[in-house]
Amino acid sequence: MFPSLGRDVAFPVIGSVLLFSAFVGAGLIYQNWLGGAAERLVTVMLIDAVIVLGIQIYVGNTGVLSFGHIGFGAIAGYTFAVFAISPAEKAKRIPDAPFGLAEVDVSSTAAVLIAVLLTVAVAFVIGVGLARSGAQSGAVSATVITLALLFVTHEVARNWPELTGGERAGLFFPIGGKLDTRAPIYIALFGALVVARVYAQSRSGRLAAAAREDNLAARAMGVNPLVQQMAALLISVAVVSVGASLRVYEDGSLLPQNFFFNYTLLTLVMLIVGGRNSVTGALLGVAVMTAGRELARRLGQDGFEIFGIGLDGEPLDWVFRENLQTVFLGASMLGFMILRPSGLLGDWEFDEWLRSRFGRFRAGGRAKAAAAESRPEPLPELESVEPSVLEAHGIDVSFGGFKALSDVGLIARSGEVIGIIGPNGAGKTTMVNVITGLVEPSSGKFSLNGDDVTSTPTYRLARLGVVRTFQNLRLFAALTVRENVEVSALIAASHRQGRTLIDVDSVIAEADLWEYRDRRARELDYGNSRRLELARAAALAPSFLLLDEPTSGMSDLESAEMIEQVRHMAATVGAGVLVIDHDLNFITGVSDRIYVFDHGEVIAHGSAEEVQADPLVRAAYLGTERTV
Amino acid sequence: MIELLQNLIDGLGRGSIYALLALGVAVVFGVMHLLNFAHGELITISGYAAYAAGQQGWSWYIIAPLIVVCAVVSSLVIERVAFSRVRGESDFTLLLTSFGVHFVVSAVFLLYVSASVKTYPRPGWVTNTYSLGPLNIEVFDTVVIVVTIITLIATTMLLQRTMFGLALRAASADFDTARLMGVKSDSVIRGAFALSGLLAGIAGVFWLMRSGSTTPSAGIDPMLKGVLAALIGGLGSLRGAVLGGFALGLAEVLLRSRLPDSIASLTEGVVFVLIALLFIFRPQGLITVAHAERV
Repeated sequence: MFPSLGRDVAFPVIGSVLLFSAFVGAGLIYQNWLGGAAERLVTVMLIDAVIVLGIQIYVGNTGVLSFGHIGFGAIAGYTFAVFAISPAEKAKRIPDAPFGLAEVDVSSTAAVLIAVLLTVAVAFVIGVGLARSGAQSGAVSATVITLALLFVTHEVARNWPELTGGERAGLFFPIGGKLDTRAPIYIALFGALVVARVYAQSRSGRLAAAAREDNLAARAMGVNPLVQQMAALLISVAVVSVGASLRVYEDGSLLPQNFFFNYTLLTLVMLIVGGRNSVTGALLGVAVMTAGRELARRLGQDGFEIFGIGLDGEPLDWVFRENLQTVFLGASMLGFMILRPSGLLGDWEFDEWLRSRFGRFRAGGRAKAAAAESRPEPLPELESVEPSVLEAHGIDVSFGGFKALSDVGLIARSGEVIGIIGPNGAGKTTMVNVITGLVEPSSGKFSLNGDDVTSTPTYRLARLGVVRTFQNLRLFAALTVRENVEVSALIAASHRQGRTLIDVDSVIAEADLWEYRDRRARELDYGNSRRLELARAAALAPSFLLLDEPTSGMSDLESAEMIEQVRHMAATVGAGVLVIDHDLNFITGVSDRIYVFDHGEVIAHGSAEEVQADPLVRAAYLGTERTV
Repeated sequence: MIELLQNLIDGLGRGSIYALLALGVAVVFGVMHLLNFAHGELITISGYAAYAAGQQGWSWYIIAPLIVVCAVVSSLVIERVAFSRVRGESDFTLLLTSFGVHFVVSAVFLLYVSASVKTYPRPGWVTNTYSLGPLNIEVFDTVVIVVTIITLIATTMLLQRTMFGLALRAASADFDTARLMGVKSDSVIRGAFALSGLLAGIAGVFWLMRSGSTTPSAGIDPMLKGVLAALIGGLGSLRGAVLGGFALGLAEVLLRSRLPDSIASLTEGVVFVLIALLFIFRPQGLITVAHAERV
């Protein structure tokens, strides 16, 4: 479930306690300072924080922009209200409520529970739709589906007066007086913080984040993004539902517009200002935007005054007007998107910072020495592995009228290094794409250990042991080196049982990335990035490792080192290797057997000597006359 | 049968406006990969310009061209102030930037004009109808349909016959390659925004003359119609956008006249559900734009 309990549970919980104390403490200080009206402001801020944290769980971890979470809030809010209002009150407001709801009488706590369950059920249905629409980071159709949800819930709330009291009247009710204690809000907020942080560190959260960074690479590492997105959505909606119920309770009234566009804007601005990928950021955003909005409101109402020098009615009057806070919200969203789209904190997380400080403290300043000491030993190469066979027969692929591959056959066994070579456009990458399930062949069969795996989805093939790297790097940029490798390790732990798994630290050391292990992948230079891709693939304990131009852009020396690493890595996990390149010397140097591609066909295959002697290959490579 | 024919004509009138809006959204999406949630604000801004002109005692036939000019200028200004600064950023950033523009524009009108409804003069014949056999046709719809057809033909000519059109289509197909081939990214993007503004302006004249009033949040509705229609048609396809606009108009009219009375007021909601279903079962929209994952 969690790669490391201390790092993924203990520190997030400790961090949450401290963040919670700071956030609530700041609110209480402000409230004691100003009293009266400030109390309500702080209460609203605490509830907003619950809802924004809920949204963060989905938007932050999956990268899918959702406008629908306030729609989910509306569903939860109405469910809560309809169940929590006493029958006597309902007889006055909504006597004709359907399904006999007018007579239902349950406690507020039970009503919250019902609201959460019902809303999560709706979220499940919506989630299936999102998955079908190909939801991934930045996906437009997914965002529009969430927008549709927001509008549909609003329309239904407006047009179903028997249940909702309609657009004008709404629901006004004392559920049991206003919330007379903040205890439920505090509990909800602390719970939301812990859930958000622990989820982000959990297996599901990490896999979702990997898919957020690069959907395709995540699938190639065996992650099924749709499952993780669904998990994130359901947890996220549960938290939002609790927040929405609290909001309804606190307001003591409910109109359709309470959970519509304006509130969506407010919560989204709070989320992005702090940094949507960070839970700490979400909380900071709530505080900053609450303070900023309150300031804007006061300025709009009362004008500007410093040290007793009033500017009311003075030059700045054209700025300080009523509704200034609305402009403030819009301008914050626009300003942050243009100047700092990752928000104030970006990926920074309070408990991670705490942990790194703690680690340094424990090492007593001898951080470097300690790190060097704990560097893992080199891994032994496996003596024997269960033999695997990968076979392709008569593969045809065409893109429109263009035949990218015709009648291609190929066989690879564990322990072997197979080279695939050919000029640009010969169909090498297409072949790898077919083998890893990214391109479906129009005909032909492809099998792994005798089982037909043609048209198996990419993530399943990866779990079966067919793992690849990419010609143009595809790392999980915002994750650290270690987290990148952990993604594969998590998948391997649940889907590659029976294979010899290598631990994350060893594989990082093996790839010469030990001193970079806590750097984010986007900070690595080119060579290290390539090595990380290799390490990430090897940590999956693959049966077959497909390397798409692993040395492109490297010097001869670097290439030679890379080859050594590839051989060693493959031997430690007992994988067969298929390596693609267009450099004849390089391929003949590493491969046991070679397939030569040209114009989508295999024109020769055999050992290095056989291939080099082949007249067709000489023609393709040296340009001599074909002698067929 | 007669009723169906009537619906068809009403739907065509409504769909024409949506088609123009959707085409404007699609043109910008093509060059910038930006789904412009601020498209409706061009109509809000023009609406307030119309209000200001009306206060000066100008009549509708001066206001109509003013609306078009205003939409083009606003489109260019918004591009310069906001969108030019986020070119090449992630889709997430682009989406929220356009939403930010949407909110800032409506908030500014809220701040400086107030939330109340503002009206302006419009032609007296807006609500007139004439009979064609058993059919009742609005004069206004007729004008809308005719002008839309002319606009669409002119736009097609612009895209097919001019260098700018070629550059725009090339940039839509593959922006980076188009740049390498010598297409100037600045001018093609600005051109796209100008064209998008022009189309929004023409649609805006119809939209504003029909509604006769504007509010700070008046942009939401045309924005949604344009964006949804462009999505229905398949983003990136200009023909798809026009088709999507007509499909959306027709669907609305048919639903409004066919749904039982009890849920007729839910038409918008039902349309949304249908669109969501369309995305779920055909995420690429009606017209598929060739698109493969680059590896």
